[in-house]
Amino acid sequence: MVVNGGSMATDSTQDSTHTRGLQPTFEELCQNTQLLIQLRWVAGLGILFATLFTRYGLAIELRTLPLLLIGLLVLSYNSILFFACREEDKSLPRIQRVAWGQVILDWLAMIALVHFTGGITSPTLIYFVIHAALSGTILLPWQTRRLILLAIVIVGGLAWLERAGTLPHVTISDLGLAEDLYKNTTYIFAVMAFFGSTVFVLSELVTRNAQRLRQREQHIRELYEARSTFVRVATHELRAPLGAALSLMRNIEQGYAGELSPQQAGILSRVTSRLEGLSTLVDDLLTLARIREASTAHAPLKPDSVRTNLDKIIEQERPHAEQKQITLHCDLDHAPGIVMAGNVGLNIIFGNLINNAIKYTPEGGDVTIDYTVLREQGQARVSVTDTGIGIPADDLPNVFSEFFRAKNAKRAQITGTGIGLSTVYALVQRYNGEITLESVEGQGTTIIVTLPLTPHQTPAKSADDEM
Amino acid sequence: MAKKILIIDDDPDVVMAIRMPLESAGYEVQDAHSQDSGLAAVEDFKPDLIILDVMMDTHTAGFQLAQKLHGPAAKEEHKAIPIVMVTAVHQTTPLRFGPDDDYLPVEGFIDKPIDPKTLLGEIEKLLK
Repeated sequence: MVVNGGSMATDSTQDSTHTRGLQPTFEELCQNTQLLIQLRWVAGLGILFATLFTRYGLAIELRTLPLLLIGLLVLSYNSILFFACREEDKSLPRIQRVAWGQVILDWLAMIALVHFTGGITSPTLIYFVIHAALSGTILLPWQTRRLILLAIVIVGGLAWLERAGTLPHVTISDLGLAEDLYKNTTYIFAVMAFFGSTVFVLSELVTRNAQRLRQREQHIRELYEARSTFVRVATHELRAPLGAALSLMRNIEQGYAGELSPQQAGILSRVTSRLEGLSTLVDDLLTLARIREASTAHAPLKPDSVRTNLDKIIEQERPHAEQKQITLHCDLDHAPGIVMAGNVGLNIIFGNLINNAIKYTPEGGDVTIDYTVLREQGQARVSVTDTGIGIPADDLPNVFSEFFRAKNAKRAQITGTGIGLSTVYALVQRYNGEITLESVEGQGTTIIVTLPLTPHQTPAKSADDEM
Repeated sequence: MAKKILIIDDDPDVVMAIRMPLESAGYEVQDAHSQDSGLAAVEDFKPDLIILDVMMDTHTAGFQLAQKLHGPAAKEEHKAIPIVMVTAVHQTTPLRFGPDDDYLPVEGFIDKPIDPKTLLGEIEKLLK
């Protein structure tokens, strides 16, 4: 069993870094593909509109039918891509295939468009520049280079075939170009030279910048991992001596090492309380490190059950409540309440809330935990109410700030670091939930967390089925 | 006759902190400091209960030893000895587990820092 660490599978990408460049990540490919799909709706409609407007608005002679067909074709393969992107199977190889597929389809459509608007003399040739830039963002440098080379060969081939008369040349006479310009070898070479160099240079610039960004991103990821590993190891090393020291202290306090004078007992109790403070700080730092780790982009959210986590935490906190003669009132919905959360996120959220409620409630008080699934709103709602020391009104705006501690908590000398609630707040935000806090100093505090349920949670399912 | 308890932990201070309350409660106590010496001591000392630390020579040595003593391939006489696992991991790593989880075959947990009263209570409960 290995503690789930930060070392993600970067090995495979690392291998290819030196030879072939960094693969775009899954998220990057998804984002770019979705952006391209949006752009393509505009492009397809643009071809239809521009064709109709040029033909009937400007009364310019065009090969209307083939151009309209190209527009419709673009729209129809875009619909297929649109649905391909929405499918459940969101794996990297699949999205890579979609990315490649769309680049090829776009280039074919582009070449058809060029052909039907005048071949080498077509004003649409300039659009290849956009395609060169776009392919640079989603393909590897070597792939882009090959694709650009292929485009130059195909456009050159098209020009040559039209010149040779193998392919019929489409002339748009309203452009006022010389009738046989497409047969002019110098013109063909000049256009091909500038066209080729433009798309090549542009795609190089884009791919290199994309590579640089990817490298930087990977570097940041590695730094994050190194940092959280360091914090984890360091914290374990810190916790071991603290645990041993506190264990020995408890033996002395409970009289297993003989009688103490009142003064000695007083001093030892101070030492214990300082050690406990230190121990809480170490625990909170470890929690913080874990959250930082869990909130990096490559740690996706997974479905987790609110009910299961609450059960575990209540079980774990019950002894602490009993020690202080605090009554735990639990009113828990049977539904599992599946929400999207990070690795141990729910555990940290509810663990902190319940632990705080017990910690800040004096002996003999009450802590009430209420969990309800609000099916109509699609939310799981957990409230934790205590009869504790509460929070002074002027401290309320700061309760979710890192390292903030309310005045009365410090006065009461309750150990804490002010990391807990800020952590809970950050996590709830990350899970698209809401957190509200109401408190009256001296009377108690209620904290309510609502988290969005994952879709398709059939109301009829009982908790036991899923747990 | 006094019940026998074996402490397997590589931290001498923790061993001392566990030993004190156990001895004053009248148990016969022995300790071992690694997975291997722990396993040998189980054979020789034949304890009635084992107190086992999670992290010793490796981060998971305690888990491995628990598997050896209580896993499917373990000897029947070993399976009969209850194990209490001493751990700070219980509170703070993503590995959340309770004694009911079948992949960690132990009978109880005690959190570090060790509270002598809680420790004695847990042991009394298991040795009943």
